[in-house]
Amino acid sequence: MGMTGAILPSQSDALLRPLIVIGNPGDRRTGGIQEARSNLGLTPAIIIPYAGLLAGQSLAELSLSLPDEASVDLRTAPPLLRLESPGGSFENERALIMLGAPDAEDMDDSLHPYGDHPDPHPLSVKTAGQLRDLQGVLHHPSQWFRGYCRMLARLKREATEACPGSVWLNDPADIANMTDKRRTQQILAETGISIPRPLGEEMKPTDYTSLRESMLTERMHRIFIKLACGSAASGLIAYQINPVTGAEVALTTVGVEHYITRPPIYYNSGKLRRYTDTATISGIIDWLYRHGAYAEQWIPKLGHGARSFDIRQLVVYGEACHSIARVSSTPITNLHLRSQRMSPTEAGLSEHIQEQVRDTAVHALAAFPNSGIAGIDVLVSGSSQRCFVVDVNPFGDLLYEVKYHGCSTYEWEMKVLFARDYIAKPPTPPVAQEGSA
Amino acid sequence: MTEVKLGIGYDEFEDGQRIGTEIEKLSSSPESTSISSLIIGDWGQAYENSSEEVVDALVKYSASFPALRKLFIGEMGFEECEISWITQSDLSALLPTFPELQSLTIQGGNELSLSQLHHDKLEELIIISGGLGKGVLENIATGRLPNLRKLELYLGVDNYGFDGSVDDIFPIIQPGKFPKLTYLGLKNSEIQDEIAEAIADAPILNQLETLDLSLGTLSDKGGEALLASDRIKGLKALNLSHHYMSDEMMERWRKSGLPVDVSDKQESEDGDDWRYPSITE
Repeated sequence: MGMTGAILPSQSDALLRPLIVIGNPGDRRTGGIQEARSNLGLTPAIIIPYAGLLAGQSLAELSLSLPDEASVDLRTAPPLLRLESPGGSFENERALIMLGAPDAEDMDDSLHPYGDHPDPHPLSVKTAGQLRDLQGVLHHPSQWFRGYCRMLARLKREATEACPGSVWLNDPADIANMTDKRRTQQILAETGISIPRPLGEEMKPTDYTSLRESMLTERMHRIFIKLACGSAASGLIAYQINPVTGAEVALTTVGVEHYITRPPIYYNSGKLRRYTDTATISGIIDWLYRHGAYAEQWIPKLGHGARSFDIRQLVVYGEACHSIARVSSTPITNLHLRSQRMSPTEAGLSEHIQEQVRDTAVHALAAFPNSGIAGIDVLVSGSSQRCFVVDVNPFGDLLYEVKYHGCSTYEWEMKVLFARDYIAKPPTPPVAQEGSA
Repeated sequence: MTEVKLGIGYDEFEDGQRIGTEIEKLSSSPESTSISSLIIGDWGQAYENSSEEVVDALVKYSASFPALRKLFIGEMGFEECEISWITQSDLSALLPTFPELQSLTIQGGNELSLSQLHHDKLEELIIISGGLGKGVLENIATGRLPNLRKLELYLGVDNYGFDGSVDDIFPIIQPGKFPKLTYLGLKNSEIQDEIAEAIADAPILNQLETLDLSLGTLSDKGGEALLASDRIKGLKALNLSHHYMSDEMMERWRKSGLPVDVSDKQESEDGDDWRYPSITE
């Protein structure tokens, strides 16, 4: 594993396909990509800010309005297109909720996997525009997702028109499907990937009451309930009922603020909460189901001492690369505050099972044939040692301090793109491919 | 030492696997005679099914485990079952069945009973629970364990089955009750201060090497009572970790020069007085 900067021959810019990244300039994701490109001797990626797109400017306009040295004519140089997470900015969140409004200008719901399901109490463009930034508050998840799908549809249209020949690293349609857990798990199951058994295969639960009914009739007393379009631990509940006593426990980061004159507000709390009272639990579950939720069997995860873990496995164009074990003393491993990151080997996972994790992850991403890069969350059952896919994250490559063949996640992605001629054919025989697979 | 763990996962249980059958299988395996430590994990939806089947099978096949010295009934984590939901049963039949047993660990307090707690050789009894019923405390108080060296009780909270008071603890800490006891843990309690006050000057301290009052709601009140006691000075270890004592009190402990563990200080939430022991679930 030598210096990665040496492996790419220097070339004139004209030979290179530009990489356009739609994201938030200056954040860790776009920053990581720029750093990787600089380390590899590639020209910087062109960052198109979400803010501009959401303000109504088109992809083509934004590409031409860049500073001279970065400005690019998309028709002459078909770019690689990469979408980043829109998260981390309240302005983006609000603009997406406005896009998802019933009176929005663009009502293209073609990429929304459940576009015909109505959103609860939709907000008009005007009302959505008046939302204020309240720490952690989940303003309107389902309308946010509708807006997000409309934006994805628009980007896909604009890219086809403005830059024929462009290539999406992850297709916007796939991103929509990966962001909706109901659809993700359905696609995985149809492709034959092992997933935790969904609750309500016969009859999908629609609220707290029907959920509990399904749990009892299907004898699935321990489940995870997920906000369909939530990311990480947002809107996630580890829920269990005691069929003998009727007791229930919900572990979640969802917090509730109650008011006398208006409906409660739900927010993501920085710490895990434990609810045992029916009023609070049913309120949260009913709210999740109004915005779309998915429930599946809680498979006891493999342990590391008194803690348990799952694996985030990055897959880049058919090859499993960086991976981390997320070790937690709670059932919810994707909580940054509460879990410790370590290598799968440090967590005690045998090479044999690691191989299965990689294999499972590669197959999971292959279920989305128009996408090249995703972080797959794989759990290993403590009792059967089998692998199950619990999530597919189209933006799941923000992994710090993990190297694969000496490369950061972004460096590795750029190398793979280069090796696969996505960026350009090297003009001379390639210099020794140190450390690459 | 040969250690074996048996357990039934959710899917295995739904597919018809039973812990009794697993114990029977183990008993007929060649390794059974060399097993010195047996861990029974989840016996299959332990929130719904009690450990009775485990007890019955172990009694039935006990002759196949002549080397058994250590037994753990109910080793399972939050991934499998809430500790406070684990359904136990009367485990006393295990004691005469394994007369050579030295260590018994039990996790889960629901429906737990040790109605005939008599054993000549048992050295270690550990009960981990989110809430231990006073019935079990009474079982222990009336039990006969002449060789017991370590007694560790996670008392828990009333929400999860602790229905006792410090009055139920007194009979257990009478000197002469367990003449060989050197390690006493009365821990993970929501009345940790009262326990500390009750034990601070109890004669039983004279025979103890370790007093473990960890994982509970110990505050300055209990800390003060302990510090004021002369008897604690003879201890080789005093475990007060996971506590709610103030920085000043921790400083006083440090200056005392006593072998005390005051790590893992807990912060009361949002300034209100809500404190909770470690395993409350």
